[in-house]
Amino acid sequence: MNAPILELTGFAQDPAWLPWAVQYFFLVGISLGAFLLTLPHFLAGRGSVEAARAALIAALITGIAAPIALLADLHQPLRFWRFYLSPNGSSWMAWGAFFLPAYVGGLVAYGWLALRPAFAARAGTDLPGRIAGLLGGDGAPWPQRLKAVGVFTAVGALLVALYTGAELAVVAARPLWHTPLLPLGLLATAIAAGAGLATLLTGDPAARRLLGRAVATGSAAALLVFIAGLLAGFAGAASGEAQLALVAHRPLASLLLVLLLAAPLLLIGRRQAAPLAGLLAVVAAWAWRWELFMGGQRLPKSGAGFYDYAVPFGTEGLLGVLGSAGLMVLIALALHAVLPARAGRA
Amino acid sequence: MNPSRRDFLKGIAVGAAGAAVGAPAAARSAQGEGDAKHRWGMVVDLRRCIGCQACTVACGTENHTPLGQYRTVVHQFEIPGADGSPRRASLPRLCNHCAEPPCIPVCPVGATFQRADGIVLVDNTRCVGCGYCVQACPYDARFVNAELGTADKCTFCVHRVDAGLLPACVETCVGSARIFGDLNNPDSSVSQLLREHEALPLKPAAGTAPQVRYIGLDGRLQDKVTGEPSPIAAKLAEVTP
Repeated sequence: MNAPILELTGFAQDPAWLPWAVQYFFLVGISLGAFLLTLPHFLAGRGSVEAARAALIAALITGIAAPIALLADLHQPLRFWRFYLSPNGSSWMAWGAFFLPAYVGGLVAYGWLALRPAFAARAGTDLPGRIAGLLGGDGAPWPQRLKAVGVFTAVGALLVALYTGAELAVVAARPLWHTPLLPLGLLATAIAAGAGLATLLTGDPAARRLLGRAVATGSAAALLVFIAGLLAGFAGAASGEAQLALVAHRPLASLLLVLLLAAPLLLIGRRQAAPLAGLLAVVAAWAWRWELFMGGQRLPKSGAGFYDYAVPFGTEGLLGVLGSAGLMVLIALALHAVLPARAGRA
Repeated sequence: MNPSRRDFLKGIAVGAAGAAVGAPAAARSAQGEGDAKHRWGMVVDLRRCIGCQACTVACGTENHTPLGQYRTVVHQFEIPGADGSPRRASLPRLCNHCAEPPCIPVCPVGATFQRADGIVLVDNTRCVGCGYCVQACPYDARFVNAELGTADKCTFCVHRVDAGLLPACVETCVGSARIFGDLNNPDSSVSQLLREHEALPLKPAAGTAPQVRYIGLDGRLQDKVTGEPSPIAAKLAEVTP
């Protein structure tokens, strides 16, 4: 019988990417997923205006919050200008520094153009009403400008999806990330969660039905990616073996993730359950990224076993997660204050 | 002044500054370009390593790494021998100063670079602390310095090398297991050892062409070790009073 190798002295490494990275990938993923769902209505005039507006609000809330989470993940956040002063063209992260502001800037402009009539309808004498009046102007729609900015932002969204996926997938040193399945999983969960958050922001049954289909489609695709990863592990692929190892190390977390991905599929068709399905898709997208980032960094590159990681309570951990959630709520409240309650009133 | 004399004097100045402040931190932005005549590398003769961690301590003292963070460590294993009986094995780890370093292309701001003499360095006045290089290193040789908030790693004690001294870990090794020298010089100790012995790199499949080689390396330790993890994993939280 072969006795195992015993590691007598080990040196654990703390994760270089903090929970802030999870928050960034979560927020920007939801944002671009939700944004893409707005395009059929605002660019082609198809689909539900309620669904498109809810998805747009979801994209704005998360898209504006995302860069702040990214900045917070830098250990030297005040040096962010270095990304623009001395970019390294061989780094996906360097490209992301240009794609992200292009997307977020485009998204804000697109949101303003799309919601201009709604802002005008909300104009009033109170402070939010005065701000809405300024944003809305005469309230006349600008369809050509909206389409042009929409196309620009769509390109930005696809580039952000590309760079966020590639940034991880090129890291050969982390087998869990080094797979073409990774960008697909991020995109699938992003669309499910984008639609899911939008479902929570609308009470319109037709919109919820439409968004519910996107939630189910994204969740099903993510589930397939997860299963494909496991099968790749059984076939001997390094990335799949890393996924299998992580599943074996954290069976409850993995089971919870699978249940979260499967739940929207089980709830599809149940009208009253649409918000629950949406919420679960949002939680699934977060859990996916948590396992990917924090779980992936638990796997030592050289040593045996796993690195331990406990979420700290401070800004590098729980407070960061709660803080970015609070920021989302703040942005949501600000938007709520300057918009009428329903799109139909615009 | 010709370039070599300027480099030499610059090296003296950097070395003196490093010695004066006791750490190279202040000199990190003036790490120089190195001299392409040299290609620095290290051979670790595992037959001589007793796993005493003197190199780990010397490195921490020389480079003022934060408590619980290390530029070099000595992993120790108990591995089954050919007859099934267990034997001890040590494996000092450090930055491999790879010829094809995967940490450099991922750095978004070009803070990680390789000198002409092969030493891979981090300009911590430019580093944004994004941690991407930490992820890209296949050897877990990098970390984000908890005090500086920038990427950190073994520099082969570049401040000492530029002053004509040996890296602190080499200087202090009680068994002379760490041998440092110029791979471009066929008469150097490292070149002679590489000619006379089979010296293996870590993770050859990673394609990074490490410039740290090991004599007497058990093949089971060459890649990621599969086995029972250590019950003791030294972390900052565990050693901070």
